Amino acid sequence: MLVSEIDIITPQTVNDCLLILSSHETEHRLIAGGTDAVVRMKEGKWRPSTWINIKRLKELRYIKEKNGTIHIGPLTTHTDIIHSPLLQKKANVLVEAAREVGAVQMQNMGTIGGNIGTASPAGDTIPALYVLDATIELQSLNTKRLIPINQFFIGPGRTIMKQNEMITNIIIQPQAENEVGIFQKLGPRKAQSISIVNVAIMLSMAKDRKCLEGKIAFGSVAPTIVRAKKCEALLPLSPLTDDIIENIAKVAWKEVMPITDGRATAEYRRDMASALLKRGLYRLMKRWENK
Amino acid sequence: MKQSLNWVGKRVKRIDGPEKVTGELKYMTDYHFENMAWGKVLRAKYPFAKIHSIHTEKARQLPGVICVLTHEDIPGFNGFGIVVPDQPVLASDIVRCTGDAVALVAAETQEIAEQALRLIEVEYEPLEAVTDAEQAMAETAPKLHPDGNIHSHVKIKNGDTEKAFKEADIIIENTFYSPRQMHAFIETEGGWGVMDEEGLITIRCPGQYAYRDRMQIARALAYNPERIRVISSPIGGAFGGKDEITVQIYLALLAMNTNGRPVKIHLSREESVIAGIKRHPFKVQMRTAAKNDGTLLANEVRAVADTGAYASLGGAVIALAIEHSCGPYKIPNVNLEGFCVYTNNGISGAFRGFGVNQVCIGIETHLDMIAEELQMDPIDIRKKNVYHQGEHSSLGHVVKTSVGTYKTLEVAEHCDLWKNRSQYKQEASEPWKKRGVALATSFHGIGMGIGLPDYGSATIELLADGTFLVAVGCEEIGGGNGTAYAQVAAEILNCDISRIKIVQGDTAKTLDGGTVTASRSTYTGGRAVAAAAPNMIKLLTSAVADILQVPLSDVIVQRGCLTAKEEYVTYEEIYEYLFNRHKPTKVEGHFLLPKEKAEIKGSGGAPHHLYGYLTHVVMVEVDTLTGETEVLRVVSIPDAGIVINPQGLEGQAEGGAVMGIGYTLYEDVIIEDGFHKTRNFTDYIIPTIRETPVIETFPVEDEEQTGPFGAKGIGEVVMIPIIPAIMSAIYDATGARIYQLPATPERIFNALKNEKKQNALHAR
Repeated sequence: MLVSEIDIITPQTVNDCLLILSSHETEHRLIAGGTDAVVRMKEGKWRPSTWINIKRLKELRYIKEKNGTIHIGPLTTHTDIIHSPLLQKKANVLVEAAREVGAVQMQNMGTIGGNIGTASPAGDTIPALYVLDATIELQSLNTKRLIPINQFFIGPGRTIMKQNEMITNIIIQPQAENEVGIFQKLGPRKAQSISIVNVAIMLSMAKDRKCLEGKIAFGSVAPTIVRAKKCEALLPLSPLTDDIIENIAKVAWKEVMPITDGRATAEYRRDMASALLKRGLYRLMKRWENK
Repeated sequence: MKQSLNWVGKRVKRIDGPEKVTGELKYMTDYHFENMAWGKVLRAKYPFAKIHSIHTEKARQLPGVICVLTHEDIPGFNGFGIVVPDQPVLASDIVRCTGDAVALVAAETQEIAEQALRLIEVEYEPLEAVTDAEQAMAETAPKLHPDGNIHSHVKIKNGDTEKAFKEADIIIENTFYSPRQMHAFIETEGGWGVMDEEGLITIRCPGQYAYRDRMQIARALAYNPERIRVISSPIGGAFGGKDEITVQIYLALLAMNTNGRPVKIHLSREESVIAGIKRHPFKVQMRTAAKNDGTLLANEVRAVADTGAYASLGGAVIALAIEHSCGPYKIPNVNLEGFCVYTNNGISGAFRGFGVNQVCIGIETHLDMIAEELQMDPIDIRKKNVYHQGEHSSLGHVVKTSVGTYKTLEVAEHCDLWKNRSQYKQEASEPWKKRGVALATSFHGIGMGIGLPDYGSATIELLADGTFLVAVGCEEIGGGNGTAYAQVAAEILNCDISRIKIVQGDTAKTLDGGTVTASRSTYTGGRAVAAAAPNMIKLLTSAVADILQVPLSDVIVQRGCLTAKEEYVTYEEIYEYLFNRHKPTKVEGHFLLPKEKAEIKGSGGAPHHLYGYLTHVVMVEVDTLTGETEVLRVVSIPDAGIVINPQGLEGQAEGGAVMGIGYTLYEDVIIEDGFHKTRNFTDYIIPTIRETPVIETFPVEDEEQTGPFGAKGIGEVVMIPIIPAIMSAIYDATGARIYQLPATPERIFNALKNEKKQNALHAR
């Protein structure tokens, strides 16, 4: 398929879009910000016969509180997330992750739904969504289903989403008063970089450095994002002193199964899982103590 | 002297600044025409293969294809290369790297041209690729070229190293590896060409020497060069990467086959990565001897440069590297040799620094290691060993021109960063972050070495509106040489700088003034303008003497006009007078660069007559958890002679520092088995503004008598000493030495791990 032969359709409502998705007989793909889709089209990897341009579906661009949860529309841009007072207060880990996506131009164009749909193991917002217990709402013309984020991905670039479905909502659990979160990223440079390893951490704290419960999600060290359950189990055992942090961080390399690629070797990635966890926990404790 | 100048030495704003900042300026690859055809290049499928056949029928039959060209369609010589034309324009029987061009297509659209490329059938027989320079030198290695894989071998010997090493108190020996840096200019290679009804070919393509490009085009086309016009300026960045032919010959070939339609080629970044030349990766083995008082006794160097499939300027690069391999020091006994070796790893060629970057990391690291062992101050050991004007260099020749190294070291010693370094080092923000401060010094030859003619020329024309058109061959490469020319012209003509118009890089409008390379264009072009300007003064004064009917001696050149006997004559009036009488309104100026008389035997062109010098002081912060390294502060102390434009110098110093940071910490084009693993800017990491530190520039102005108003060149050395300075600062921060660049987080992390292991072993 030549680029010049690709059609583009711009539905005006979600319903229109679902209708197109259900009735379309030729191969189609959704395009929103295009920060991944256009690159892949250029590379010749994604050449659908029709692009369904959903960028203008305003009804899918929102951030709101509902029944004790936060709903984020899939067309919410990374910049929207960064500037949202609600998310800054109640999901700062997601705000930090959005800030690390590419550069400002990509943050302006790229959407959270796109970041999820692309399903890159190195996607920056996904570990944050893991520790925020995100649920993905998928709709087709006739069905609606809610998928916990840890069940959504199958492997690199692959999700359980069907051809006739689209993401219509992302539901996250807001951080409570005693919860602190952080996103840590290691890339080949500070801006405009793809993660070598990233990690999102969310801790529920009691007094001082006593941790009640914690969630840790690593990116770029396995085919999908992985939760570090062993480390998580160690978090509440004793107050998170610098020594304890060091010990917990050492366990992290057992939780990951990275590969060697152009950005780093598997061995380095393993070491970095520990390093980022240590750095993240240390910084979180500083944050908690200053809260 | 400086006080009396109006323009030179002043912070004159860039004459091309506004149009560049607003984006109004059109680079040559920005042009589009209604009837334009698109050209595309078919690149080789394999890094090393025989070609058995090329079939283009299917491609020709594709609707929208205008022409498909192969080596059979080349009217003249099928080859190019600045020194040795060993690179085929279009491969005929063999391909030696994946950047090799095999066929050309012109079509109605880019997309059709791309489709047509896929329809060209090339039958290859892949050969075993040669991918390691050391292995390429072995007798048993497959040969890329008839004369074998060693393109050049240079040697410099002075004194008696054998004896010196026996007498030495300290000997340091190490091997250093450096990366394949990409120029990463914003404007990828491209341009457009057109042939008019009378057969005049115009090629508009950014390049670093329009006249030489024209000769190379003419040779391939078997065409009268006078019937070819090359416009090569402005350039959207080059840094040496557009010194060699890029797409000019392809454009000319296609232009001859598109029935007078303009044809455009503009490489995608991906194609530029594969086809564009790169900085030579080097392996440098160095052994340095010193006495207990820090006096350097001897240096042995063996450098191997991977020049890829073709020579381009590889021979000159290794020669310059060897010439500079001992730093700006007087080491009495040296034994230096370098090899420039063919492999199937793309093509290496000219790049800012031209081989000096790769060798300076050796000598500067060794000086620091010797200083550390002797517990000497790194500045003291350098001061002790630098050569001064009139002294012998390590090569054994007497350096007659200005030498600013000592002064730059003095400035370094007294700068805030160095003086207060222990305090700054304590200010790391988190417990696992370590800071280090270090310095390094280096130098760089200005102009061509011995054996290459080196000249500058300029014309100045008086125009009807009373302005002066100053034309210099050297292109506007981004560094602001045009502004320097305008300053020199305005200074000597004694007029406002707004009256100076500059034209550069156009064989129809400028004289041949040599390349914009080798840190030479401000120096050489400036001198040429300074040679032309007095001729214009003569022309103006004699015209005024005629107009006012006064003796020549009565005419006075005033600011913006000329006077005699209290009468004013404007430039406009002079023009009108000359024009009406059909008298010339244009003058020329020429300048031949001074050279050393005797070449050091076997050195390939050493020594240079003139060098620019520079010292860098840097502070880094290393995250010891991850190996991430941030350069926090840079002090750049250039000796550029008398500075023509401080703002321009700062621009060079800052840009050079950032490019040096990129080279040291991030950049490498990875090629495996002859195929590029690095594809575009997604995986080729260059510094962004977030990796850009605070950079201060403190020039020492050591006047160079031969330069325009005492200036000399600086374009390359600004990126050199920062490289070993960062390496040394990492060591200062962490105790881990880096011998292979780029010093990525992973490499630094591994060096730290090894360092810990070593310490643990010692502790046992």
